[in-house]
Amino acid sequence: MGFFMDGLDAEAYDRTYSDRQLVSRIIAQFKPQSLLMGIVSVTILMQSLMDTALPLLTARGVDAMVGEANLQQGLVLMVMIFIAGAMGWVYNYVRQRQTSRVVANVVFRMRQQAFAAIMQRDMSFYDEFPSGSIVSRVTSDTQEFSNTVTLTLNLASQLLLVLILLGVMFFIHVQLALISMVLLPLVTVAALSFRHIARNVTTQVRRILAQVNTTVQETVTGIAVAKNFRQERAIFDTFQDVNERSYGLNLRQGFVFAAIFPILFLLSGMATAMLLYFGGHLAFAGELTTGEWFLFITTVERLMFPMTSIASFWSQFQLGMAAAERVFALIDTEPLVVQHDNRPVPLLEGHIQFRDVHFRYSEQEQVLEDFNLDIAPGETVALVGHTGAGKSSLGKLVARFYEFQKGLLLVDGIDIRSFDLDAYHRQLGMVAQSPFLFSGTVRDNIRYGREDATDDVAEKAAHAVGGGFWLRSLPQGLDTETGEMGSSLSLGQRQLVALARLLVQDPRMIILDEATASVDPLTEAQIQEGLDLVLRDRTAIVIAHRLSTIQAADRIIVMRHGRIIEEGSHDSLMLQGGHYAELYATYFRHHAMDYELA
Amino acid sequence: MTTSASAVPRREFSISNEYNYNRASAMRWIVSHVMRHAGVLLLALGSAVVASFLYAWVSRLGGRAVDTISLGSEASEALLRIVLTICVAVVVRTLFDLLSGWMKEVLGARLQRDVREELEISLLGKSQTFHNRQRTGDIMARSTDDVRQLGMMITPGIALIYDSVLFIIFPIAMIGTIHLQLLVVPLVYIAVFLIALRRFNRKLSPVSGAMQMNFGRMNTTLNESITGIELVKSAAREAFELRKFLGTAAAHRRYFMEQGRIQATYWPMLYLGIALSLMFGHGLWLVTQDLITIGDLVAFMSLAYLLGFPTFISIFSFTLVQMGMAGAKRILDIINQDTELDENRAGYRGLLRGHVVFDRVTYSYDAVPTLEDVSFEVSPGECIAIVGQTGSGKSTLTKMVNRIFDCDSGSVIVDGVDVRDWNLESLRSQISMIEQDIFLYSRTLRENIGFGLGGGRLDDERIQQAARAAQAHEFIMGFQDGYDTVIGERGVTLSGGQRQRIAIARALLTNPRILIIDDSTSAVDSATEDEIQRAINNVMKERTTFLITHRIAQIRKADKILVLTRGRVVDLGSHDELLARCDLYRRIFIRTSTSVNAMAGS
Repeated sequence: MGFFMDGLDAEAYDRTYSDRQLVSRIIAQFKPQSLLMGIVSVTILMQSLMDTALPLLTARGVDAMVGEANLQQGLVLMVMIFIAGAMGWVYNYVRQRQTSRVVANVVFRMRQQAFAAIMQRDMSFYDEFPSGSIVSRVTSDTQEFSNTVTLTLNLASQLLLVLILLGVMFFIHVQLALISMVLLPLVTVAALSFRHIARNVTTQVRRILAQVNTTVQETVTGIAVAKNFRQERAIFDTFQDVNERSYGLNLRQGFVFAAIFPILFLLSGMATAMLLYFGGHLAFAGELTTGEWFLFITTVERLMFPMTSIASFWSQFQLGMAAAERVFALIDTEPLVVQHDNRPVPLLEGHIQFRDVHFRYSEQEQVLEDFNLDIAPGETVALVGHTGAGKSSLGKLVARFYEFQKGLLLVDGIDIRSFDLDAYHRQLGMVAQSPFLFSGTVRDNIRYGREDATDDVAEKAAHAVGGGFWLRSLPQGLDTETGEMGSSLSLGQRQLVALARLLVQDPRMIILDEATASVDPLTEAQIQEGLDLVLRDRTAIVIAHRLSTIQAADRIIVMRHGRIIEEGSHDSLMLQGGHYAELYATYFRHHAMDYELA
Repeated sequence: MTTSASAVPRREFSISNEYNYNRASAMRWIVSHVMRHAGVLLLALGSAVVASFLYAWVSRLGGRAVDTISLGSEASEALLRIVLTICVAVVVRTLFDLLSGWMKEVLGARLQRDVREELEISLLGKSQTFHNRQRTGDIMARSTDDVRQLGMMITPGIALIYDSVLFIIFPIAMIGTIHLQLLVVPLVYIAVFLIALRRFNRKLSPVSGAMQMNFGRMNTTLNESITGIELVKSAAREAFELRKFLGTAAAHRRYFMEQGRIQATYWPMLYLGIALSLMFGHGLWLVTQDLITIGDLVAFMSLAYLLGFPTFISIFSFTLVQMGMAGAKRILDIINQDTELDENRAGYRGLLRGHVVFDRVTYSYDAVPTLEDVSFEVSPGECIAIVGQTGSGKSTLTKMVNRIFDCDSGSVIVDGVDVRDWNLESLRSQISMIEQDIFLYSRTLRENIGFGLGGGRLDDERIQQAARAAQAHEFIMGFQDGYDTVIGERGVTLSGGQRQRIAIARALLTNPRILIIDDSTSAVDSATEDEIQRAINNVMKERTTFLITHRIAQIRKADKILVLTRGRVVDLGSHDELLARCDLYRRIFIRTSTSVNAMAGS
């Protein structure tokens, strides 16, 4: 019943696979399930046969009763009807069960492949696809595809039933069969035109619903503002206006949808009347038995429903194919970062050398050109410059998140492209601007830095950062739940957790993208202390946004348009009065404690 | 915990002509919603009765047509008469079918509209404590998915069940008119069917529920792995993430198969098959006994086939009802939650001067003490800065002033009157707050700045004046549409510094006597910082100001500084006093002061 409405949201999509490629990919997914698929096909056929048997046997039974009532034959038929019903149920049981197994297995395998594939991709892939779209490909698109498979199998069994019934009807009486078939195109046309109207209304309803949701969302997210200004009434009036409009459109949609089945039943009712009339005349003439007449009358509605399903099938089918295609596209993307070798990584000292490195994210913009930089083991380098100067690109190249186009990047004199990437990453620590935390406890998150880290190790690290003073601001200490993506912790607390996590990982090199947002002064002091500890004895590239960090660095590198234009200490650079002094006046002046209005 | 139907729960917002629903239980609540539109309901139910009677009657007429064969010569005319009657019956049936369908849609749509409205009013009236506890996503899910499911429960859910009942009653009644004996098998079948259906639903719903939960978990896990991909890669934990994901994916496979198994075992279908064969046998026997005609047999079997409709549709309709009931419970949960404050319409009203006293204030949030024994005093026009770590209770403290939260013990006194004795409207409208996370509506800049003045006409002159004082006028005029620029999702995105200045303008326009500034954490460059400082200096003039800020330069300048740790006052004094005697306060300046010294050299 709901099937009729399926696929109303179908949209055009860009094809990247040819039909043949797509079909062969899909078949490949089903291959491991071929035995089960075989069982499903057989049961579909058997079930359709059993379903057809029911009205046929009833009709035969009616005939047995005409004139000289033949009770014995009737009883045999009754038993046969019973058997057909029971067998039909059994076949349906086997079919549904095996179908769900096939679909579950196929979906599981697709999800597994998709997830394994995305874990292999470098960061350029994640830049291209927003996380929401990846998630929906792995979970929702595979689901959509599986729905389509189920629907296709259901429709196949319905169609088979129709074909068999039609065959029987034509066998009995060609003209009357043709009369009952007159209905089919009519039903299909009616169904298609309804879908057309329904699609328009549905689009409108979806739009207005989005507006209702936005309004409610604004109510909730803006509740503090509404309260502060005592403007709840104004908010409510806005809401009511949208809500009333949504009601109007909902009603219109409801009226369209509610009209479909009565009208289809009107058609089938008229067809029944027609069959009664013509069939009756044929029965008088002896061309048709009463049972056959009965068969025709009871079969009309059975013919109709698959027709309405066919009307919606194509768009639903396209939806499923598009979904499958999106999943395959995800599985098939090639990673751009490729290692030449799989060398084991010795304990690194952290000597980083950029030699004539060329790098760009896309064809349009060159980020680094003939870039050279030598960072000594244990050195802390602070990178400063405007947005887009190429600071974070340096860090991402060292992390091997992107592929550079030309030149050489050496760590301890070894080509970075020859390392076993997993082993290399274990010796490289990163802290993002807004550190990421998994949902779980703070302790879990600190332990994440190392596969084999114990609770004990995590605890020690937590206490080492800023003397552990920050743990007191967590309501349950290390057992505090971090919430979804760390949402229950403040930015400052997340940074402290990230620093502790880094201590657990104990990497040889660190890439730190400092947060631009400020945190409260007490937490800030803790973070600074934590940083001092973490950066000690390790090579570090710091994309600096804080005056204090810059001043603590061994060397400041000033970048512009992918080039190093100045380097040295804070004092010497300020004395030069060059780009650094300019950056200072623009970005860092107000960080100073004795800041006054300019 | 349940609020009785008559007692009006406390809340901070209400409208005058509200409809009173019975909120004692989900079932009563739905019934009271539906009964609000009793006329529509009656029309829907009545026309469905006529329509389903006609369905059964057409089958009966079909049987009569078969019997005409035995009439011989007059058969053709009799047949025509019957067929024409059927045509008329079918047309009339369609009309009633449509009427009933449309009325059901009206009911479903109105229910959704009413519930949304009720929920919105309720949300607006809830305390800030409530809103802090709720996640936006949760509430959104309730007002969208749950409301939709509630609507679907009425139409098509309950509507289909009602039709199913009619499709049981009328065919059976019609069978009774053929021969009373024929009722035996159908009645037994119906009884067995209902029992089997109940058992089926009991088995299916926990599995479906678990599957849905797991799907959510799978999405969350996956989303985390992807959002945190930099961390996953840099800690080389890909294998771990894969295991985590496969765990949920395998669970999904398990639930899906289990669901398939239960759905495959839909016993009523087997029972229907058995019943049909028995009915057939019974009919045949009655024919041989000459108790019924062949036409009667045909009519009987056609009517028997009508029983297939409730059998097949019930899987669908009962699932909808179950989902709808669950949704209704979740919505009602929100609506029925008690809120701590009310409007206090009879309370004290007066022009506020800005004298604030905290007297041994203690406040707990979810049984965790947030403020303990906090006492201090602020004179009109003074600026007090509050310093403390995240979670030390700074924001909570400021929110007690405009009574967003009420203290558990002690009192907050504004102008000598306990805030609990103030009229909520009067108190809040004279206190403005610039929040930490600045919220702006997806409307024009003019409407956002003028938000505090209400929905009425906005005085452009005053809005521009406020924007100028907030240092926002210039960048606003830089937009193509000036003050008519729409911001938010479908408009211009403002930077953190710009948002902050719009918020300052918004606060200024209501000319508050007390100002609470919870300084934003957004990153700004030095020039923007200059402008924000200028704006804040402008608004602080002659107002009592509570200031939470990360900018140490600003803290220094406050008249008083309150240092908080875990909800307790550590010290209170001026910058110089605290620097001299407070360790915690001094700690802030340890590293920063070295850089200040370094600066001095440059």
